[in-house]
Formats: sequence, structure tokens, C-alpha cells
Amino acid sequence: MTRTVVVTGAGGVGKTTLAAAIGVILARSGLRTLVLTIDPAKRLADALSAGELGDEPQLVLSEPNLYAAMLDVAASWEGIIHRYADPEVADRLLVNPYFRAIADRFPAAQSYAAGERMAEYIESGRYGAIVIDTPPSSGGMDFFLAPASTGELVSGKLLRWLTGSRLPGRSVLFQFTAKPMLRLADGVLGGPMLSDVADFLLDLRTIYDRLAVRSKAIERHLRAADTIIVTTADPTPIYETTRFFEELAGIKITPEAILFNRMLPESWIEEADRRASATDSSDPTAAVLTNNLVAWSAEARRQIEAARELSARYRLPVHEIGWRVPPPSTLDELASLLSAVDVSNGFANIPTSQQ
Amino acid sequence: MMGATDLVLVSGKGGTGKSAVTAALAIERALRGQTVLAIDLGTGLGLGTHLRTSSLTYEPTQVRTGVWAMTMVRSAALDEYLKTQLHVPGGAPSRTLAGALSVLVDTAPGVREIISIGKPIFETWKEKWDAVIVDTPSLGQFQSYLRAPSTIAALVPTGRVKRQAGSLTATLSDSSITQVVLVSNPAELPVIETVEAIETITSERLCPTPIVVMNRIVAKSGITEGHVKNLVDGPLREAAVHQRSVESLQHHWMAQIDIDVSLPYLMGVSTPGEVAVQLAAAMRAG
Repeated sequence: MTRTVVVTGAGGVGKTTLAAAIGVILARSGLRTLVLTIDPAKRLADALSAGELGDEPQLVLSEPNLYAAMLDVAASWEGIIHRYADPEVADRLLVNPYFRAIADRFPAAQSYAAGERMAEYIESGRYGAIVIDTPPSSGGMDFFLAPASTGELVSGKLLRWLTGSRLPGRSVLFQFTAKPMLRLADGVLGGPMLSDVADFLLDLRTIYDRLAVRSKAIERHLRAADTIIVTTADPTPIYETTRFFEELAGIKITPEAILFNRMLPESWIEEADRRASATDSSDPTAAVLTNNLVAWSAEARRQIEAARELSARYRLPVHEIGWRVPPPSTLDELASLLSAVDVSNGFANIPTSQQ
Repeated sequence: MMGATDLVLVSGKGGTGKSAVTAALAIERALRGQTVLAIDLGTGLGLGTHLRTSSLTYEPTQVRTGVWAMTMVRSAALDEYLKTQLHVPGGAPSRTLAGALSVLVDTAPGVREIISIGKPIFETWKEKWDAVIVDTPSLGQFQSYLRAPSTIAALVPTGRVKRQAGSLTATLSDSSITQVVLVSNPAELPVIETVEAIETITSERLCPTPIVVMNRIVAKSGITEGHVKNLVDGPLREAAVHQRSVESLQHHWMAQIDIDVSLPYLMGVSTPGEVAVQLAAAMRAG
């Protein structure tokens, strides 16, 4: 059984970094581990790869159990079409101008491709653990909703609307029901655009049943995975975190833990309060240093209040991850981010004495 | 209001504070006595919370003195596009057509984008506002918005849609009307992605040269290495070391990009509404 960890959160909070950190720790615990990243910063890609990080998983040279891959959306969709469409339909789809546009642009397409890849790697049995960094659209929530919404697209809203629930033959569609409407639409649009789209959707419709079965499997894998939410104290990620909980509850997923990233030490707050009243204001150096501590302690206070509130509201581990400047760029630095988190054991706290 | 309307399109990598900056740009203009419309083309949540309102609708509502706000609702936008831009008559034929077009919006390249980017442009054409300020989705989607009119023009040889797309392109590329603002942060990915976006936008001539707003700059403290060296271990030293590391890292990334507007890192500010108001104050001061 493959241990799967899905790392999600708003943009810019450090998802990719923490997914890599979890991967390093799982690999060091003895599991053959794959980290599937989406769009890593150069320092991370460099840490995870000797050459170019690509679609094919490759061994991270300095870490015997760790593999890394980067999602290639276009390649993933070609794979999906070849796997689920009849060869003749696949050939038509792959050269259709609408296909590439959808694969590139449909917001759920990247997320669906990531889910499909995740399922493939889980089912391959090659890895003891897989860590997934979620695509940024809708702050990662699309990743969880994509299997269902992709089915919606492929089920052919246009076709249902044109013909009712019955799947029509190509000739039926163009001879009877649709013709007058298509002519009318093309008159306004100024070209054969709508019939091109209908043609494309008819082809896509043939893979719907197989894709629907597949979507269910991806959803099962998602429910079996550990979901980790990453946030910082900024208002937007905090707000997104509350939305994640609501939407994940809707698809029966309960997050395992929150990683509260870029935290400052709590000890700064008390010290700042003490010094604010005691510092000799005639000493310019002391004033500069105290003002600096006071400014950062306001930030520390905001962070701790936000972290405590999340912890009280959701009753799950909220791990405070220290703010590293510069950000971690080696595997050891990545692993040290989570030194207080028992990644192998349900993301529980490690008691202080054992750290 | 007097004269033409400014169209301000705001984009940036996720997490850089795009919605906060959009709200601040609207508030700052309102403080100068202008009447502005702020439009959320994304989820409808980010911009709203920064303007202290829980639910934006397609119909603009006033959220503070001089600031009106609305969110994109694609079905309503499609309806408006058909009626006011393509002059599709009402009644049953139009419903049939609207059904077909609503599928097109979800499927064909460029159509969804043209409906979304169309609305702010139509509001600009009305000359009812001093400025229309738009919170657009991530950098990638923003670029497909800018490309939408030409994508459409390439797909359809003739017709009303094509003519209309031409008018949109004309407004988007007119530097006396349209201003593009890219929000960035002094960190690796935001700077690299902003530089790449500017290169693409400029080389494809998608719109006037973007303005870079660098958000979350930690103010210089004046702490030197000498200060730190003389300190004993403890919070005072830790905070001084942290400050110097942040300053040096931010300095490194800010040197890689031309910055037009600098905005501060707001320490200890926790509500989106307060963030927007303070950023607006910083814009006024700067």
C-alpha cells in the first residue's frame, strides 16, 4: 500500500518547499518516495535534481530512496487520450485545435492531469510513498474537484443540450437537430466554429465512460491520502484555509494537519514588550535594535494569534514552521523544517525531549 | 466625472497581494476624488474581502465613497455581451443561441476570455467612471485574456464576433486608456515569473508596457553587521539577524527587475480591509 500525501494551500505559502521536505523525510524513513512537483523554484529544482527536472521520475542522486518528477500537463493529456480513446479517435483529438487549447487552458485540466499521474504512480506499486504538490489554480482546490468537473466537461453539455440524454451518431447530430441552430450560431459567430466544437465534443464524448470510471478511482485515491494544508499568517491564505476545510468536507476529506509556514519565534513578543518600556532612548543603537524587535514581534503576535485560532477551530495539529531566510536549498535544510513533526506517524507532534 | 476612463488591469503571481493592491489602487483614486469601478475577474472573494464586503455581485454596488465593485458572473456577462455587443435580439431564438454560446464559452479557445475581459472594456467605453480597475487571475490566465481577441480573430473568418474582437484589441493596446499593473514580491519565483510575463507581453505586443508594483518590501532598519556582532544570543539578536537576512535577500531579487512602485511589508496587520487601506496610504505618500 502506497502512503500518499497531498500538500495543498494558497499560492505563495511554500507548498512546493514543504512537499519536498515531507518527501525527504519519508525517503529517509526507508520508504522509496516520489515527490511530484508542479512548478518548483530553481533552488528546489536544483536540490531535487542533478539535471533538468522532468515528467519522468528520476532518482535524487544524493538521497538513495528519493525520486522527483515535474508534471508536464500537455504530455499527461496526450497519455490520457491514448489510454482511453480508440486509436482513430485519439489521432483525431490530438490534432484538433480545440484539444490543445483545452489541455492548456481549462483550469481543471492541469489538476486532472496531476490526479491521473498520482493514480498511475500509486497503482504502479513502484513507490512506498508519494508526495503531491497541488497545482495553483483555485489555490489547489481544483486538484480535489477536477475528477468530477472533468467528467462534466467531457459528458458534453452541448450534446445533451442538442439531443437530450441519448448519445447521438455524428450524422444524426448534423442532419437534424442541430443544423438550423448551427447555421444561426455560425451567422453570428462568423464561421464554422460551433460545428467544429460539436465535432470535437463528439470525439471527446466517446472516452467519457472510461474517463468517468477513472475519475472515481482518482477520487478514491484522494480520500485515502493524507491531506496537508499549508498556510501563512497573511489574510488571503488564512481565508483560503477556511474555504479548503469547507470544500474538502463536501467531498468527505478531512485534512491531517496544517503546516503554518514562516513563523517567527514566540519568545520575541515578551522580550519586545519588556524592552519597549525599558530601553534607553538616548542610545541610538539600542533604539534601532529595539524598534526592529518591536516591529517583528507585531508580526510574530499576528502569526501566533492566527495559528491558535486555526488550531482551536479545526482541532487538528497546527505545526509552526520557522521562517528561514534564505529559504532552504539543500535536502538537509528541507528536512530540518519539519524536525518537530512526526511525518511518518500521522503528522503528530514530536515531543520536545526527542527532538 | 470628466473625460475618458482609465482601464487598469492588475495581475501577478498568486500570493503576491494582487487583490490587496487592486483594492488599494481603487481606494487611492477615490481618495483623490475619483469615482472608480473595481472588478473581480477571479473567484469574487479576494477583492471583496479587501474592500470589506462579503459578497460582490455582477451588478456594481458602492463599497465606500467613490468606490463601486462587482464580480464576474459568466452567464450574466454572456447575456450582456450578446445583447449589447452582438445585438442578438431577445426571445426564443436568442435563448437557443445563448445555449449554444454558453457551451462555446466553456470550450472554444478565447471565447471565455473575451467574455471576461470584454466586461471591463465595455464599462470603460461607457465613460461613466474615472477608472475601471480589474483584479485579473494569475499571470498565465491574464496572458490568455490579452490574447483572446486575436485568438478569436484567427478562428472565425468573418462576422460580428470578429469585428467586435477588433474593437477590444484596439482598446487593450491603447496606452492612453489601458494600464497594466503587475504585482510582484521581492522573492525568487514572483520576480522570475514577473520578468518572464513582461517579456512575453512586450514581445507579443499584447498591451502597453506593464507597470511593476513591488509589494511587501521590508523597510531598511539601519542595523549593521557591527550592531549584530556585539549582541548576546536572544530575541534582540535573532530579530536583528532576521532583519538583515530579509533585507539582503529582498535586495538581491529587487535588483533583477525594474520597479515602478514600491509598497511596504505591513507587519502585524491582520485584516484584508486594513491591508488595502494602508497600501492606499503608502501609494499616496509615495
